Amino acid sequence: MVVRRREKILPKVCRECHRLVDGDSCVICNTANLSTDWTGYLVVLDPRRSQVAKKANIDLPGCYALKVR
Amino acid sequence: MNGDESPGLHYFAVKTTSKQERTVADNIQKAVEQSDIKVYAVIAPKELKGYVLVETPEEFARMEQLVERVPHARAVVRGETSFDEIQHFLVPKPVVSGINEGTIVELIAGPFKGEKAVVKRVDTGKEEITVELYESLVPIPITVRGDNVRVIDTREPDD
Ligand SMILES: [Zn+2]
Repeated sequence: MVVRRREKILPKVCRECHRLVDGDSCVICNTANLSTDWTGYLVVLDPRRSQVAKKANIDLPGCYALKVR
Repeated sequence: MNGDESPGLHYFAVKTTSKQERTVADNIQKAVEQSDIKVYAVIAPKELKGYVLVETPEEFARMEQLVERVPHARAVVRGETSFDEIQHFLVPKPVVSGINEGTIVELIAGPFKGEKAVVKRVDTGKEEITVELYESLVPIPITVRGDNVRVIDTREPDD
């Protein structure tokens, strides 16, 4: 038995870097290991100056999921 | 930790219309790109319904100016929060960490809530685990999310 919640389908994110991805692979990680099952959202505008980006280990601007399954 | 970690940075909560947290985060980015107001990051944690958190070197009044131009953003909350208060949103613990084959767990959600079970398999990528109910006569494997269990004991009992 698999317990699952039913939710609206979200955009795809990369399981490795958590970036929102257009298409079938993450161009940054070069992987097709994607997920539509994620929560929390983070937009990084200035990774060099952002403490938030530093803490989340993000060094590229962009949109990210906080938690990916 | 002390507040010196993020010199010159401010953390404000922005109230959003219902279920528009992600839209507001995107809209703040667009508004920043069209202005000279600086924002370094916007966080929309799942736990914080109706708000997003903004990391910025700007003061409150400048954030208010920005938010006026952001669709679905309602207002900047008066009074700042701090990096220390928000950083736990950024490092969510992997839900199946600390759970291995043989770990004794209690199911904390679903139809078998309250039952004890032995972990048979861990799928780290999908963050699912397969367990067998501890006191069941016929062992039936059940697959659950890693956050639907609580670890009771990390060793298999001797008997
Ligand atoms: Zn990636």
